[in-house]
Amino acid sequence: MKVSTMAIRSLDAFARMSIGRAFASGIGMVAGGFLILLVLVAIFAPWIAPFDYAAQNLMNANAPPGWPHLLGTDEFGRDVLSRVIFGARTSLSVSATAIAISMAAGMTLGAAAGYFGGFFERAVMTVVDLTWSFPDILIALIFVAIIGPGLTSTTFAIAIAYLAQFTRLTRAQIVRLKRETFIEATINLGAKPSHILLKHLMPNAIAPVIVVGMLAIGDGIVLEATLGFFGLGAQPPTPSWGAMMSSGTAQLFLSPWVIIFPGVAVAITVIAVNLFGDELIRALDIRDRLRGA
Amino acid sequence: MILRYTFQRLLMLIPVSFSISVVIFMIVYLLPGDPIDNLLRVGSSPEDRAELVAQYGLDRNLVVQYFVWIGNMFQGEFGQAIVLRRPVADLVAQNLPYSLTLGGLAFLFSSTVGMALGTISAIVRHPLLDRFMRGFILLGSTVPGFWLALLLILFFSVNLGWFPVSGAGGWKSLVLPVLTIGFGGVALVARVTRVALLDAQREDFVTLLHAKGLSSRTILFRHLMPHALLPVVTILALRIGWILGGAVTVEFVFGRPGLGSLLIRALGQRDYPVVQACLLMLALAVMLGTLIGDVAQASMDPRIREKKS
Amino acid sequence: MRYSTKTQLLSGSAIVAAGLLFSTAAMAQNVSIAFSASELGATAYNPVAASTLNTATSLIYDRLVEQDADQSYHPHLATSWEETPDGMAWTFSLLEGVTFHDDTPFNAAAVQSWIASYAGTENEYLVEAIGSVDVIDDLTVRFNMDRPEPNLLYNLASAFMGIPSPTAFAELGDNFGVTAAVGTGPYELQSFEIGFETVLVRNEDYTWGSDLSENTGPGHIETFTFREIPDQSTAFLELRTGGIDLLLGVPTDFLAILEAEANIQIIQMPGVGISYMPINVTAPPFDNILVRQATGMAIDQEGIVAAIYNGVGAPAHNFLISSLPEADVDPDLNVTYNPARAGELLDEAGWVMGDDGVRVMGDERLSVSLYTANTTELTRLTQVVQAQLGEIGMEAIITVFDSSTIRDEYRNNAHQLAVRSYDWNNSDILDWFFSGNRLGYPNVSMWEDEEGQRLNDVAMTESSTSAERIANFTAYHEYVLSQHLFVPIYQPTQNIAFNATAISVPDPVRGSRFRGQSFMDIQVVE
Repeated sequence: MKVSTMAIRSLDAFARMSIGRAFASGIGMVAGGFLILLVLVAIFAPWIAPFDYAAQNLMNANAPPGWPHLLGTDEFGRDVLSRVIFGARTSLSVSATAIAISMAAGMTLGAAAGYFGGFFERAVMTVVDLTWSFPDILIALIFVAIIGPGLTSTTFAIAIAYLAQFTRLTRAQIVRLKRETFIEATINLGAKPSHILLKHLMPNAIAPVIVVGMLAIGDGIVLEATLGFFGLGAQPPTPSWGAMMSSGTAQLFLSPWVIIFPGVAVAITVIAVNLFGDELIRALDIRDRLRGA
Repeated sequence: MILRYTFQRLLMLIPVSFSISVVIFMIVYLLPGDPIDNLLRVGSSPEDRAELVAQYGLDRNLVVQYFVWIGNMFQGEFGQAIVLRRPVADLVAQNLPYSLTLGGLAFLFSSTVGMALGTISAIVRHPLLDRFMRGFILLGSTVPGFWLALLLILFFSVNLGWFPVSGAGGWKSLVLPVLTIGFGGVALVARVTRVALLDAQREDFVTLLHAKGLSSRTILFRHLMPHALLPVVTILALRIGWILGGAVTVEFVFGRPGLGSLLIRALGQRDYPVVQACLLMLALAVMLGTLIGDVAQASMDPRIREKKS
Repeated sequence: MRYSTKTQLLSGSAIVAAGLLFSTAAMAQNVSIAFSASELGATAYNPVAASTLNTATSLIYDRLVEQDADQSYHPHLATSWEETPDGMAWTFSLLEGVTFHDDTPFNAAAVQSWIASYAGTENEYLVEAIGSVDVIDDLTVRFNMDRPEPNLLYNLASAFMGIPSPTAFAELGDNFGVTAAVGTGPYELQSFEIGFETVLVRNEDYTWGSDLSENTGPGHIETFTFREIPDQSTAFLELRTGGIDLLLGVPTDFLAILEAEANIQIIQMPGVGISYMPINVTAPPFDNILVRQATGMAIDQEGIVAAIYNGVGAPAHNFLISSLPEADVDPDLNVTYNPARAGELLDEAGWVMGDDGVRVMGDERLSVSLYTANTTELTRLTQVVQAQLGEIGMEAIITVFDSSTIRDEYRNNAHQLAVRSYDWNNSDILDWFFSGNRLGYPNVSMWEDEEGQRLNDVAMTESSTSAERIANFTAYHEYVLSQHLFVPIYQPTQNIAFNATAISVPDPVRGSRFRGQSFMDIQVVE
């Protein structure tokens, strides 16, 4: 691998080259297209949704899919389609925000641990390994128990649940890169650690982290849905895919569409995220670097 | 060699368990609310409160509390549940068997079915089957567990009436929970098995065996399977935590007793000693799984032993 | 499980009973039951000390007296009773030949030590008026009263006055009702997996059922399995698929579906509680009585009954169930739907309608918190309440809490509005929820008021006859209503559903609730 070209590759170029390449394959295009569409739907939800997501019409509760409620209505007579559309907003924004926080924190911790090594590294990695081996849902549940239910706490809970993943990955990248000759040269030239980290190490470490972050958004959506299902995420009447399913078995009998459609939305979105992520990995040719973490 | 490695890994567990125990001990003090408030009689005085606090040893210095607590843990003395008003050990003993049965069966289900599927897809290398497998694996790793559980209930319990909707009465009530937890595992194991078998087939010794005139079946079961078994054991052992995580939601949806549902209830009621005991049990299981996984991996790949020792 | 083993199993009567058992019931008779949502999570079968008890408790313990649906009192372990004209002493004659599950006898001494055991517990108020208990002879006791207590018989009939074996109670201490529960009831506690399942097994020696049951001998059913199914709709599916035989609380929205099922029968009984929304009077903007009054007028009780409860049950316009005489208050004080008036009141209080439909005062928006607990029925009702508050320009932000955590929030005075419900068919519930001695919880309204406390004391301790008590509690109730401390919403019915192909259930159900006396008459359908 040509180290010099890697070093100058900025985020910008990363986006242009690799994402473009990921779109080039058939699966990548379908998955990527779907994701773009979904983001647009989430952004323009108020204009796209046929009804007010919170408007109750108790006389028309549990109506099956049909006209004018394409996906039926829930127990309060609210339009399920509108709620799924607004739910995309909640689910995507919570998951993306959480993963962004998690990535930022994980990269900082991981880079510091990988660069400085020693006791600091061991301390960080012990804690990280500890949380890593715990199921994400447990970590999130405990966190929500500490700061109470709601979207903010869900966001932070998800961020914490995936912190270990990013820390490990960044650290592994930094440790690997530190051995590269050009870094050793820079260090020998007496450059400041912050300069080396930000200018030389991070740009090279960032690609795999971004790809894993992309994949983690999918996991984050599932985790958000699960917390919502437990009633700990979005509080009514704010729709989120998970919270819509939280009425649980009640709806299975009276109006299964209230359970099925948000679940389908979660499943399709997560599958699209995974497929696109896989294509990104292939396009960037970083499978081996991901395994090393 | 492998014994030495195992011993080293065991030694490494000491600082890890220490930090885990400290974290678990501290987490509980971060929880808002107070179980003592749940216990207090309505309208009781601050003195009554202080007395109760003293009775549960909550008035002592945190460090002292920690050492008292960890000392008791070593003696298998989990303390008294504050809200549920009984020895925590009893609660754990009551719930653990349910968790072990469910986890064990899910483990067994995902390993056997997963390996079978993986083997089939490694032998029959048909593009259609390949695509099906890829889809299945993707589905297995992306579908939210609780949603799958709800769909299974809708189909098998409500529509067909084959299995009970909830509870823990008899083997029938285990089928759907095991399926729910095992589904993701099956996909994972199938993928690992397939990769391992395909890798092994490319090894030189396989060509040699073929040359010696051994039948494909003998080669598969005698020589290739052992190769595939190890990565499967490794991945499953590392995934014990993940199985337990799945169990939390599944126990909730199916209304089953178990460590997960005990933990959720205790978190809701802020019952410190119960939360601590449950977390400790789960952490132990996770550490044990990681240990088994690491040792299995090391016995397979000598480089790991060297690197870490 | 020391107390569940019978030492006299080989005694003559037990052998006869065992013989009967084999001849009449060849098949294994187990009936499984799901508790209603409101009785989930009981931590102990201890009537003396527990603050929540479930239906199974009424099968383990008997009471001195029973109350029928028409509010009349019937003898049970007390065969007769007499009150002195001044109300200062009550004499009870006790039933002969009654034994506890641990084979210790039930007698006057047992009653004496049982009454004494309430001292220092949350349920002490039940016996507060009793100064001392005299043992007149083995089967006669006299309660010497500190003051007249017209409510004594009601208290004695309550589930919290089931009578435990004094021996076991003393021996087990805090573990009583947890590791073992010993009463004189028709069923004995076999196992209690907290939060999950309670198994009761028939007391073969039982011959002392009250006249509220057809069957006064041992129960027809060998074992009852009570299951705690957290989600009422799961419980409903269990009933429909044959997983359980009897469901003690059917969510109202499922009634129509269950009625269509051929094998399922429904029993509807008058409700014993209401759903309501307490208002925290210490939290602005609700420190202004005009805002509180307006909040009450935002809730359309009739509309809620019609739309979300399909017309089952009744609207609640004050704090007590309508069968209680104290619910009959000055009609002007009843809380009724009047959105127009609510708007005027809010205008008067300085909250004017903003552009986005939420009222404002200066920069401040009329946005308040609305708490509820995580049971299906409550969260459902809360979302409707939220929408109705929105109609008068009040934005309510819902937070759903675990039912046990929510009490912490009340105690910390962190709440503004909450939707909750209670089950109690006596006017002393007013004292429980509005006494200044219980701020936070149960006095969720955080109401402290001199005049209120005075009326409370009069009602609780200074009534010497039933008529006086009714008058005093009505006055207290009216004063509470005039302060707008809560919004009454709904009086549910008690809905019990059972699988008619599996069991038969007495019809009509006697007693004020479906409990011990009704379980005695449950039979398996051959």
